[in-house]
Amino acid sequence: MTLFDPILSPFGYAFMQRALLSCALIGFANGFLGTFVILRRQALLTDALSHSLLPGLALAAMLVGLSPAGLLLGGLLAALLVALGGQLLARNSRLKEETAVACLYIAAFAVGIVLIRFARVRIDLTHFLFGNILGVGDGDLWIAYASTCLTLTILVLCQRPLLLTLFDATVARASGIRVGWIEAALLALTVLGLVASLQAVGVLLSLGLIIMPAATAYLLTDSFPRMLWGGAILGMVSATGGLMISFHADIPSGPCIVMLMALFLTLAYLFSPRHGLLGKLFMGRHRHEESLSRWEGHQGHEHRFQDTDGHGNP
Amino acid sequence: MTTGSGNPEPGSPLLQVSDLTVSYRRVPAIHHVSLELGRGHCTGIFGPNGAGKSTLLKAISGLLAPETGGILIDGLPPSRSAARISYLPQRESIDWDFPVTVRGLVEMGRYAHTGMFGTFGAADRSAVDGALDLFRLTPLADRQIKELSGGQQQRAFLARAWAQEAALYLLDEPFGGLDRGSSAILAEALRTLAGSGKLLLVSHHSLADAADLFDSAVLINGELVASGPVAEALSPSNLACAYGTSVYHGTIRT
Repeated sequence: MTLFDPILSPFGYAFMQRALLSCALIGFANGFLGTFVILRRQALLTDALSHSLLPGLALAAMLVGLSPAGLLLGGLLAALLVALGGQLLARNSRLKEETAVACLYIAAFAVGIVLIRFARVRIDLTHFLFGNILGVGDGDLWIAYASTCLTLTILVLCQRPLLLTLFDATVARASGIRVGWIEAALLALTVLGLVASLQAVGVLLSLGLIIMPAATAYLLTDSFPRMLWGGAILGMVSATGGLMISFHADIPSGPCIVMLMALFLTLAYLFSPRHGLLGKLFMGRHRHEESLSRWEGHQGHEHRFQDTDGHGNP
Repeated sequence: MTTGSGNPEPGSPLLQVSDLTVSYRRVPAIHHVSLELGRGHCTGIFGPNGAGKSTLLKAISGLLAPETGGILIDGLPPSRSAARISYLPQRESIDWDFPVTVRGLVEMGRYAHTGMFGTFGAADRSAVDGALDLFRLTPLADRQIKELSGGQQQRAFLARAWAQEAALYLLDEPFGGLDRGSSAILAEALRTLAGSGKLLLVSHHSLADAADLFDSAVLINGELVASGPVAEALSPSNLACAYGTSVYHGTIRT
């Protein structure tokens, strides 16, 4: 047994090759998407959407069996209905959107659990809830591949209007961007990302693939492009890495992937050079000295266009 | 002044507001306001709370649709002159933790010219550099926007508008929360902009420093009370008229 055996051995199995490829694709695309979800502060809405997939999946399983395309369509429809229904409820009553969406998704989740009992084929509820990455078929791979391509193409092409909308929707609207369309597209891509990650981690953990890598990248960088691509790479690394660990340790893959992501997030929280807990401790002292020397250097100078913000910043 | 000065002809009317009424849910916030403002001015908008200062700015920026009348900027409605208008939002509406540096923020201003898909060329980069330089932000270009002081943040947004080559700057309470030193620096930046042929419309709630900050003033109270040089527009009788009467906001049906 050589050093690389633990890394190479899983590639000997066809089911593992498929699972790894699927995890790499979905991890990358969802990690990329996560930046948009986080900066729009829609992590909790996304969680609601992931739960609301269930009745759609169950209905599709009842009507067309377990075909990947049918499941995709069913989940997409159910989640969009909950998202749009939430907006409708919020506009026409005093309920705020988060309350409306929360009520709708939990109702949809309940309906889904009941519907699954009536599916034509026998379905294991746990597969929907927790995923079954080792059962990835060719159809699932194609869906992962297509959704990754579609998500990345749209997000990269529309990066400028997306950035303006995320940063300040009011100003974006004033400069002629169709903010409503941008938001709707983001919502649709989020649901697509959730459905694509079902096989890997299931309904309950699919949120993690979208939120956690981007949250980790957010703690590490102040640059929008770096957060995008960093989130994508972290997503890919933790999805495939988590799968490898689960293979060797013989534990379920979904929780393993999410736990690895949580580990990365914790490390970033502690050790990020600029925003980390420990980083800040070291930074404080340095900043203070810098500020003191600048303050001494600037005394008596003309203050035209120089800053007098009281902190000694240049 | 390397870029963005357009064709400054001080005095020629840049902004024409005629018979403008804007309503929220059929309750008018400003009624039948008519104004003409030329290039090269720094104009303060004054009035009591709820007088419609923000509403007027939002309508001019094209965010709110007029119920009566219209707005023309160089003869074009706001929807067709988005690149010429820069609306600077109130501080509270910005997410200061957003992962963007000062340079990145100023680059956003160029999107009005590159379009949403065009390449970001050498001309765009030099416009960004010029804007950073003009507002003395070059040493801070790589800072995240939260790491600036309040005055520097305002200047970063002005630099974005400059890079956009906007002719009309709409600023909603930019002096709110600034200390005296930062206010003075911001006021000087605004004067520099007016001097290069821009029109600045600035909502402001303190009357005490009006004459120091602005060369002209618009006084509103739901409707237009006065418009002109600061001393005339904010004369005691006009102020009594604007602040002494209550604004009609419709009746609340219960």
